[in-house]
Amino acid sequence: MIIEIQFTADPIQVAAVALPSREIGAVIEFHGIVREMEGTELLEGLFYEAYESMARKVLETHLIELGELHGCAAVCFIHRTGWVPVGEASLYIRVASSHRAEALRFLGDTIDRLKLDVPIWKHNKPQS
Amino acid sequence: MKNLQLLAFANSSDAFGFSKSEVACAAEDTPLTIVTRIAPHVDRTYLRVALDGEFVTWNTPVADARELAFLPPVSGG
Repeated sequence: MIIEIQFTADPIQVAAVALPSREIGAVIEFHGIVREMEGTELLEGLFYEAYESMARKVLETHLIELGELHGCAAVCFIHRTGWVPVGEASLYIRVASSHRAEALRFLGDTIDRLKLDVPIWKHNKPQS
Repeated sequence: MKNLQLLAFANSSDAFGFSKSEVACAAEDTPLTIVTRIAPHVDRTYLRVALDGEFVTWNTPVADARELAFLPPVSGG
């Protein structure tokens, strides 16, 4: 499986899709967007902190395992760090596979694993 | 004795009073003995620990690790 992991303090820029083979039948993209309301709090954005070296290792382990489990061919994972204003993406995942079902399962499991033990944290900065 | 870099992430940096620090320790020291020595007031129950980027238990000797990280529950995404 082709795995690309990026952390960036800048707005997420996504490269054009490069299909890893002619067997790819599904490419699914997910943009996780910072919302204005967090519970009852009105936010201007969220601040993301990552233990980047460890996050890369933990994430790569998960992605390799999920790639084998679901039979996907490639994944591009990008996470913002620092301040992310409301309306901008904090997370981007693109997964490619032969069929949509594998890619959808891979995507869902990746986000579940991200929230399980990948050392990234967000801090609320409520609007004053 | 050797120097071990300490990293405290997210709200654990408030509890420890630093986000990055350094401590002198022995190879047989563990995250538990280090925290008991430098920050006995810190509530460890919500924290996980990692040595050189690998999750370990509180009773794992630091051995030749260079970095000990304190990790609150994650919330990425």
